[in-house]
Amino acid sequence: MIRDSAATPELVIRRAHVLDPSTGLDSILDVRISSDKILEIGEGLRGTREVDADGLHLFPGFVDVHAHWRTPGREDEETIESGSAAAAAGGFTGVVMMPNTDPIVDRPVVVSGLVRRVELESRVRARVSAALHVGLAGARLTEMRLLKEAGAFCVSDDGLGTASAGVLRNGMLYARSAGLPVILHCEDHTLATGVVHEGVAGSLVGLPGSPASAEDTATATALVLAAETGAKVHITHVSTALSVALVGFFRDGADVTADTTPHHLTLTDELVSTLEGRYRVNPPLRPDGDRCGVEAALRDGVLDFVATDHAPHASEEKELPMEEAAPGFLGHETAFAALYTDLVLGGRLSLARLVEAMSCAPGRWVGEGGSLGVGAVADLTLVDLSERWAVDRDALMSRSSNSPYLGRALSGRVVTTIVGGELIHDTTGAKFGVRA
Amino acid sequence: METRSFLSLEDTSREELKDILDLAAAFANGRLRDPLISRTVCLAFFEASTRTAVSFELAARRSGAHVISLSENGSAISKGESLIDTVVTLDSLGADAIVLRHPAAGAAALASRHTTAPIINAGDGCGQHPTQALLDLYALSDALDGFEELAGRRVAIVGDILHSRVARSVIPGFVRAGIEVSFVAPRTLLPPDTEAWGLPVLSSVDEAMEWGADVLYMLRLQKERMTGARVPSVAEYSRFYGVAQHHLGNGVLVMHPGPVNRGVEISGEVVLDASSLISDQVASGVCVRSAVLALSTGAVQRAAA
Repeated sequence: MIRDSAATPELVIRRAHVLDPSTGLDSILDVRISSDKILEIGEGLRGTREVDADGLHLFPGFVDVHAHWRTPGREDEETIESGSAAAAAGGFTGVVMMPNTDPIVDRPVVVSGLVRRVELESRVRARVSAALHVGLAGARLTEMRLLKEAGAFCVSDDGLGTASAGVLRNGMLYARSAGLPVILHCEDHTLATGVVHEGVAGSLVGLPGSPASAEDTATATALVLAAETGAKVHITHVSTALSVALVGFFRDGADVTADTTPHHLTLTDELVSTLEGRYRVNPPLRPDGDRCGVEAALRDGVLDFVATDHAPHASEEKELPMEEAAPGFLGHETAFAALYTDLVLGGRLSLARLVEAMSCAPGRWVGEGGSLGVGAVADLTLVDLSERWAVDRDALMSRSSNSPYLGRALSGRVVTTIVGGELIHDTTGAKFGVRA
Repeated sequence: METRSFLSLEDTSREELKDILDLAAAFANGRLRDPLISRTVCLAFFEASTRTAVSFELAARRSGAHVISLSENGSAISKGESLIDTVVTLDSLGADAIVLRHPAAGAAALASRHTTAPIINAGDGCGQHPTQALLDLYALSDALDGFEELAGRRVAIVGDILHSRVARSVIPGFVRAGIEVSFVAPRTLLPPDTEAWGLPVLSSVDEAMEWGADVLYMLRLQKERMTGARVPSVAEYSRFYGVAQHHLGNGVLVMHPGPVNRGVEISGEVVLDASSLISDQVASGVCVRSAVLALSTGAVQRAAA
């Protein structure tokens, strides 16, 4: 729950290493927060309430434009409360909730209901994505203008992909008129008939594959239509080298952005050999050649940012043979640490670019947060880069535990998350003398 | 005697428009007596029509012409005779003018290349419907006290511009008359690159009112467009692209080529009284079409005559 700003007392974060590529800040500084905004940044600031952040890094709060909080319909897997707690634990201050729930978020009354529940139950700023087509069935347009009035932030066909180019084109045209961005999950269902990436690893263990072309042809279609219709289109979870190249080709000629996920940046289809259902995801984990292409694109800015595709599943849906398991991984709580450990400590991505890709760029996309400028909303993440921690299923805030990183030791721990000046996640309250 | 086809308004000058409307006024005032006497007008309707067909028939009869009506049923059209063969037959039988309604754009222009009799386009597919635009201009001139008063007025054309032959004739006709035109429609019902036309694209009737519309020209939303591919629902369409009672009362005029879908383009609650030109549009059809028939057959050379 985000409380009324007037109720939030002043707070000074002292001696943090402030790193914010959007403003160029990169040094040890104090930050004064008042009335949910950043009031002052400088040295020697004091206040009645202080957080000693010596040795910690302070970033603009992370923003995740791709999350499944399973509400309504599968509250056994995630609720708005637990999803937002998981997001906060991962340093996220803003999230976009995907519409493939039960019922599907395709009617204004569902949107307005979710918006009200978010106000009551979410610790972070959660935005609602409505469906692009009724029932996510790829035929009838949703009432996008009424959905927007009800509080929808964007529209998406996530989870299913769109039936045909003609249908998608009208969807983009109408979304443009409604003033809503479109988030697209690019997957051609006539090609994506398997459960893993169609390649050597899948063939060796005898699992049916979905070729990279399932993503690439759908991505190409989406990009061509985005350029033609002028719609604001965001391609989510780009996972192949060719799709990245296509995004790069269209970036200048269309209102297009794109993201990839922590797991597509850090894991490959070698995990298919385990035959474990917990490694099933859409789009599937790819060979290292694709992973390298995606990583390079994130480094170069061809991919704008990272989104987690946080997709909780009950254990009875994941602890199954690969072919029977539900696709999807938890993402919020491990995103920063997984990327920091593998890419930053691995010398393949700068810390500044990672912060840009997790905070600034997605913050710009949603139009709020992602910056530590004076006057900006006080959405902040304090991270202890030196802390090494094991991903333990019992310690996860999510109601589900389908993380592909379970059991792994990661570096970099989010210790405090602040939304609108309020500490919504804090593992160090005792140390600092403030309580979450 | 010089004859001419009426296929579209795209090449019609402001002066020609004024001439036609002046001649229509002369017909309306009864100043012309049977100028089409002994002429034969053929109405060839390859598509269902009530008001246009009746309007043309009255226009022809009141001007003294003989009228032959062909409809899809009860003619060789239903036997599969082609458009060109039908109009050539009518031409050979001595028609002085052929009024053509057809479901395909360009049908009128195609027919005109095969006949000596002038072709009057009474609506072809999503192409053109020039006499509709003329009667609209006539009705609007009348309501605004003269053709000269049209210049500088603002007309918002609302609805399915993409599939509308009415819009394709109304837009050039209105622009030529000096009217400022804007479009109000979702992108799914607009031609691509609408901005290239240099006319404003607005997102709702509310916005059209803010733009300062003097006239809301409502297009009919065809039933087949309401299935969800281009318009999500009647509720959403009528909310943003329909006339509601709160739009009226400040002198804005409402036009519609008919037939009106109540609850879609025009809310069921709306009382169309002084603000509606819809019945004036229908009433203007007869004199305007008489004028068009007279000019196309050469029975009257100039409106001034």
